[in-house]
Amino acid sequence: MKHYFVFLKKELMEYARTYKLLILLAVFTIFGMTNPLIAKLTPDLLANFMPGGMTITIPEPTALDSWAQFFKNTQQMGLIVLLLVFSSVLAGEISKGTLINLLTKGLMRQAVIVAKYGAMLLVWSISVGLSAFLTWVYTAYLFPGDGVSQLVFAVFCMWLFGAFLLAVLLAASTVAGGNYGGLLLTGLAVVALLTLNIVPGALKYNPVSLASRSMELAANAIDKSVLYPAVAVTIPAALGLIGIAVLVFRRKQI
Amino acid sequence: MNILEISDLQMSFGTNHVLRGLNMEVPEHAIFGFVGRNGVGKTTTMKIVLGLLKAQGGSVTVCGETVSYGATRTNRHIGYLPDVPEFYGYMRPREYLKLCGEITGLAPAKIKSRSEELLELVGLEGVNRRIGGFSRGMKQRLGIAQALLNEPRLLICDEPTSALDPIGRRQVLDILSAIKGRTTVVFSTHILSDVERICDHIAVLEQGQLALSGTLAEIQKQQRRNSFRIRFATEAEATAFTQLEELNRGGVELILDGKELQISCEDGSIDGQKLVDLLSEHRLAPENFEAMEPTLEDLFTEVVT
Repeated sequence: MKHYFVFLKKELMEYARTYKLLILLAVFTIFGMTNPLIAKLTPDLLANFMPGGMTITIPEPTALDSWAQFFKNTQQMGLIVLLLVFSSVLAGEISKGTLINLLTKGLMRQAVIVAKYGAMLLVWSISVGLSAFLTWVYTAYLFPGDGVSQLVFAVFCMWLFGAFLLAVLLAASTVAGGNYGGLLLTGLAVVALLTLNIVPGALKYNPVSLASRSMELAANAIDKSVLYPAVAVTIPAALGLIGIAVLVFRRKQI
Repeated sequence: MNILEISDLQMSFGTNHVLRGLNMEVPEHAIFGFVGRNGVGKTTTMKIVLGLLKAQGGSVTVCGETVSYGATRTNRHIGYLPDVPEFYGYMRPREYLKLCGEITGLAPAKIKSRSEELLELVGLEGVNRRIGGFSRGMKQRLGIAQALLNEPRLLICDEPTSALDPIGRRQVLDILSAIKGRTTVVFSTHILSDVERICDHIAVLEQGQLALSGTLAEIQKQQRRNSFRIRFATEAEATAFTQLEELNRGGVELILDGKELQISCEDGSIDGQKLVDLLSEHRLAPENFEAMEPTLEDLFTEVVT
């Protein structure tokens, strides 16, 4: 346990000093501040860009449009930036050999994996939490009186999908070689999960639905109980992937 | 007492049999030069000793405890300096030593005092910038500091001087000499002058096994060939001497270079006295007569060629 906290501290120092933390916080802060603004300004922007004489009817934006921006940005750019920033956290250490000194000092290999996952999860939680908080504040300011249902659970589902992807990335990095091997395997895993949706009934349990259906939740188009099976699959799947990463890394020749 | 014992170690990478039943013993408090050509298996051996590679056969003990692959407990006795130590470039030297100390389980006060002591030993006491801006020599010296942090009984250095300039090499060798007596040092290299300078025990790895092992004096004694160098007054005298029947038979090697003649005899039938007698018999008075000791380079070349 002591090794876990020592290595977690080292990971957080690394994120802070190598600008990983700064990049993620900056990206998610920008998302958080611009989500409501884009929702508010989109009708005016579209009207201004219309050719003269042409008119379109755009409904008055609501708080739901602001949260739609949040889920879209987080699900697309947000997760891509997250994976890119963390793609080399394990592979980089293995290829450069920075772990050798520490492993020969008795650092437990499982502490490396668990601490890396813990640090990534912490940064992801802060990033998505910050973005959601800023979206909530600006939405309340720009769209006063508008309420969005099941919002907390929808944000939780988005967070859980990010946590699952980080577990996939870490497990993939223990198996694949090179700095981008883990990223490539993670991309393939996401494609495989998306393809799985063609199997009847798979959508209900598929971790991908946590991200893809979060907007339906916020719009009250589905009840949150619809996503309970996916939550029930994703949590043990993420933990299982971390377990696999530990087992593979313990046997890995460094 | 032997601090490190390697018995019948086997390791292959595909069809390349790197270690073929390696046996090696390192006595406590020695500075042990582990010599061999590039790619002969020195780093592989060290990584197996550190539990970083899994051997395909044989056993390794450190301080009497068997090394196991993965998280081996024997590493608490060992400090390791890789050939090119890699650090976290965003850390400062004291932060890195603190990280190492915390992993080793040292108390905070001990980490602080030991860090200062070691940074002074390696000449980095006044340096507080990030490691990313360090030269290779500075990284090597910091590598020694981190390896010695937990006061290991055995320090394993993998080619610590091969990537350094002459000043950096001298600094690293001086540091290793300074810790002699407190810590046993296993020092792998292919730079023979470094070995001659600081090592008191030497082992030469060739074709997966030790080709030579012992102190330099013992190895010289084992491999001694009667070798002499004679400088004559004239080239004609030197040439005439090479014509003698006693010197022109199997087992005797003659190398003539102007007035200088080098004579080596493998079977011991020609010794110094015999040569002096021959010179006297043929009324030759050389300018110089010298019995040659084989250098480590001679021995190494003989073993690997």
